[in-house]
Amino acid sequence: MFSRRAVASCHVRRNAQRTRFPCRSLATVTDSSSASTSSAVPPLAPSKPKKESPKYTLNAAVILNRSPIITRTPTAFEKSYHAYQSRIQRALFNPFPNEFYFKPGSLLEGKFAAEEREREKEAFGGPGRSDSSDSDDAAIAASKQVMEVLGEEEAVKPMPRVHESDLKGDVKSLDRKGERNLYLLVRGKNAAGKEIWRFPQGDVQAGELLHDAARRDLHAECGSFMDTWVVSRNPIGVHQPSLSDENYIFFYKAHILAGQARPDGKNVHDFAWLTKEEIRTRVDQSYWVSVEDMLSDF
Amino acid sequence: MASALLSLRHINPPLRVAQTSVRYAAKEINSSDPRIEIIRRVLYPSNLRNRASPTGGWRPDVGRRLQRAIPSVQAHETIERAWLLHQRHIRRSRQSELDKKFQSMRNAMEKLRELDPVLYRAANELEDPRARSEEETELLKTLKGPEKKAMEARIRGLFPRELRVPTETPSRDGWNYNWTPPSRTVQ
Repeated sequence: MFSRRAVASCHVRRNAQRTRFPCRSLATVTDSSSASTSSAVPPLAPSKPKKESPKYTLNAAVILNRSPIITRTPTAFEKSYHAYQSRIQRALFNPFPNEFYFKPGSLLEGKFAAEEREREKEAFGGPGRSDSSDSDDAAIAASKQVMEVLGEEEAVKPMPRVHESDLKGDVKSLDRKGERNLYLLVRGKNAAGKEIWRFPQGDVQAGELLHDAARRDLHAECGSFMDTWVVSRNPIGVHQPSLSDENYIFFYKAHILAGQARPDGKNVHDFAWLTKEEIRTRVDQSYWVSVEDMLSDF
Repeated sequence: MASALLSLRHINPPLRVAQTSVRYAAKEINSSDPRIEIIRRVLYPSNLRNRASPTGGWRPDVGRRLQRAIPSVQAHETIERAWLLHQRHIRRSRQSELDKKFQSMRNAMEKLRELDPVLYRAANELEDPRARSEEETELLKTLKGPEKKAMEARIRGLFPRELRVPTETPSRDGWNYNWTPPSRTVQ
């Protein structure tokens, strides 16, 4: 652990850095505001480059990601390779010290022996594979006997990997497609008044940092009933909707940990949690070109 | 001196290594507890070369067992090469996805630098996970229960505690749709 002095010095340094820049930005704000009021243009972001450049607006958008819940399904090749490797391991491993782990002639030993026969048959295919049902029964019978005598409970069955929202195709569900990365897409009106699908976005207020603006805009458009985490202060991408207009949208990555989106109904009417290919089908082409590199393929 | 080094090269290393001169059997009939016998047999297994043991001191049947397990040497090598190729494809696709994401990020930062140096400077500040401002420390003292947990779980510059690792099967309760924000946390 670092000493308190080291931490305090870090803190002091950061504060010193912070105090340096507000002075500089304040100076430029007064200059630009006097210039802008004379030309009747809406107020801009705090600082402005010294050269005479076109005025710009900044927007912050959020790519809200629901990370995968379950591990990926192995491909057929991977499955067969794993089976092959476990067969080799089974052939080469040293004999198991039965007498050390099980009392000779005990019920548990019988259960283990039956399970081992099962595993051996599965790996190598025993003689007369047709009577596999008999060997299954033997293993099941052995385990049942153990349960009766020792009073063990039934092994709890795990939940299925396919959720019902997968079968129904419910795009609002956060349990759908557990293996994939899902992203929040909302439906709202663009500048021309057309209904489009896009990521939640909003404006950046004066003096506000971009990542704070991104968080605020996300909660403004989609409600605060989501436990979100914006990953970093750095934007992950930028999009300029029209080349003529100096309007830039900076995208920030965030993760959702719990909760659900509740659109406000004013700017945003509908939402969906979609995978990368599903987003491609719904979103405009120029928007997609800027956005596709930021999303995970799987 | 060179000749002495050259002469060292001609010494052949011994072909038989790790050979004990004493061979002992496992069974030792004693009237004490049979469990102690079992433990003694596991810790000091017989090194007579007549049966394969858990310690793997003597395995004459490896060739035969391998013949059961693999189709042939050539087939095995082909399978290994196919697997390594498959892994290489996966690695390549992951790397290219990361590269695309990085380029997109770098592009965005470049654009931000052109447009707004102040915001750019703020975006580049490093978050120190150890530092905590005085207001936050004071607030933390006043909070209790779930609010305190929520605030402690979020450390600037580190991932949150609630981020779950993917599992083989989903959780029994599924996604928590009814999450409400604790009232007084400072985000």
